[in-house]
Amino acid sequence: MPSAAETATFLKTVRLFKEFADPELLAFASRLHARSLRRGQVLFREGDHGDEMFVVREGSVIISKAVTGRVEQVLGRESVGSFFGEMSLFDRSPRSATIQAETDVELLGLDRDNLNLLIEVNPRAAAAFFHALVQVFIERLRASGNLVAEVTRWGLEATGLDVEGR
Amino acid sequence: MDTELTPRRAKLELLVRGEDDATFELRQVSAAAAWIKMRPQRLPGGEFELAEVTSPVDRQRRFILKNAATERYLMLSEPERFLWERMDGRTSLQDLATAYVLKYGQFDFEVIPTLIRKLQRAQLLTLSPGSRVRRALQRNRRRRVLQAAEHALTALERINVSSRRVHPFFDRVYRYGGFLLFTPAAVVACLGLAALGLVAGVQLWREADEVAKGLGANPLAALIVVKLLFLATLALHQLVHGLALVHYGRRVREFGFTFLHGFVPTFYVDVTDIFMASRRARIVTAVSGTLVHLVLGTLWFLLAVRSPDGGFVQAFAAASGMIQLQAFVIALYPFCFIEMDGYHVLADVLGLPTLKHDALAYAGALARGAAPGPWGWESGLWVSYVVLSGVSVAAFVAFNVWMIVHAMS
Repeated sequence: MPSAAETATFLKTVRLFKEFADPELLAFASRLHARSLRRGQVLFREGDHGDEMFVVREGSVIISKAVTGRVEQVLGRESVGSFFGEMSLFDRSPRSATIQAETDVELLGLDRDNLNLLIEVNPRAAAAFFHALVQVFIERLRASGNLVAEVTRWGLEATGLDVEGR
Repeated sequence: MDTELTPRRAKLELLVRGEDDATFELRQVSAAAAWIKMRPQRLPGGEFELAEVTSPVDRQRRFILKNAATERYLMLSEPERFLWERMDGRTSLQDLATAYVLKYGQFDFEVIPTLIRKLQRAQLLTLSPGSRVRRALQRNRRRRVLQAAEHALTALERINVSSRRVHPFFDRVYRYGGFLLFTPAAVVACLGLAALGLVAGVQLWREADEVAKGLGANPLAALIVVKLLFLATLALHQLVHGLALVHYGRRVREFGFTFLHGFVPTFYVDVTDIFMASRRARIVTAVSGTLVHLVLGTLWFLLAVRSPDGGFVQAFAAASGMIQLQAFVIALYPFCFIEMDGYHVLADVLGLPTLKHDALAYAGALARGAAPGPWGWESGLWVSYVVLSGVSVAAFVAFNVWMIVHAMS
């Protein structure tokens, strides 16, 4: 189990917490809880209830969405320093995708209560956190658009459908 | 430079969970791989009409295809009609391309996609994916045995060790002696060996009981070792196919090992470039590989004849020789429902690239009492193919059963 100081040192390298001062990070680190997954272990599944987000401290996870039967489409991967699970944290809706460990993984979890505490106790740090969050959201939105285009291109190539000729 | 100009083929990354839900696999599926496995299905018989028209100008045959429901018409050329007739929902685009090359001796890489686009626009065609075996297994997943069979097939199908940079290797082997295989002297040597093998075989046959005893207390295990040894010689068979390609100035595109249909372990060589050469080249390529088994079979038989009577070496060599000669006959014998070298030669000579497919379809229709049209030379060929193949397969199975029973008794 890493100490709060070690966790704070790691968080300093995470984009979401780049603007945090060292004392803020130290205080914040103690509110995160560590979680370990073995390779192949599922953290949560699409449709599960959830109210926390996770930062990857070690290893990588696969984000996938059910397609048919036992087949899921891989939407992406998150590795050291990146985060996931924030959507359910904010909109309280069920998990939109399944998270599975691609390697042995160490995670840091942040739940809704501790996020609210951050907003109340340290609004400046919270603002920096949300600013970084929005920047990542924009990047992910762009990546989603690219994925939609790629999947559409796959469908056209796989079926040989002639759209230009119609 | 090309990679910058040509767009990358789209790929999907899929995660497939195991039955136990605790395991998973990641698979990359390329659009190109999915496309060639498509099985185009034309409209059912009553929903289209096909009429032949011959141009009074160039005397070329053309065909008018009509969608009876939408009243849309399409003009098809002779090659396009050839492809249309094979779009029966069972033939994949890959098989269509092969049939086209065998029929016309050349391939225009745009002809199939262009025709499919035309037919789709006229709503004359649907495309369905996947193999029939796999679809049947998927439908019956609740049965544990079929579920296990599906898993086993999937696992085995994924085993493929191959290389696409093999042409320089084949080129070197050809230059350093491989060319000798394609000389008149090699043909004479083969005929001589075949005669010697025949004599040795007859001699061994007369003492079959005595020879079989040499396998000792565990003949089945010995026969399995013989089979495994035989598997290794399949690589040699494919190597000679590849050398034939080099001999005719064509390119060896790939060489590897895989499980055919998910359960038959085999080596393979991609000889598609030989379609760009003459019919003679195609026949020599097909036949040359099988001669490996004739030569090896003869050598094993000669060893058996020269080994001490009733000993293990004699029995092992005789069994190995027998299996090699069986492989030679099976590979070259066209009537066994398997599209091996001899079948390809026959199809090429007859000019019927989809002989097996058409013959089985006709036999099925005949069995249901729904055979189309009057009896002609083609239907005669189809029935002959099915009857000869059926009898041959039954005889082959009976012979092998007899041999194993005989060896064990």
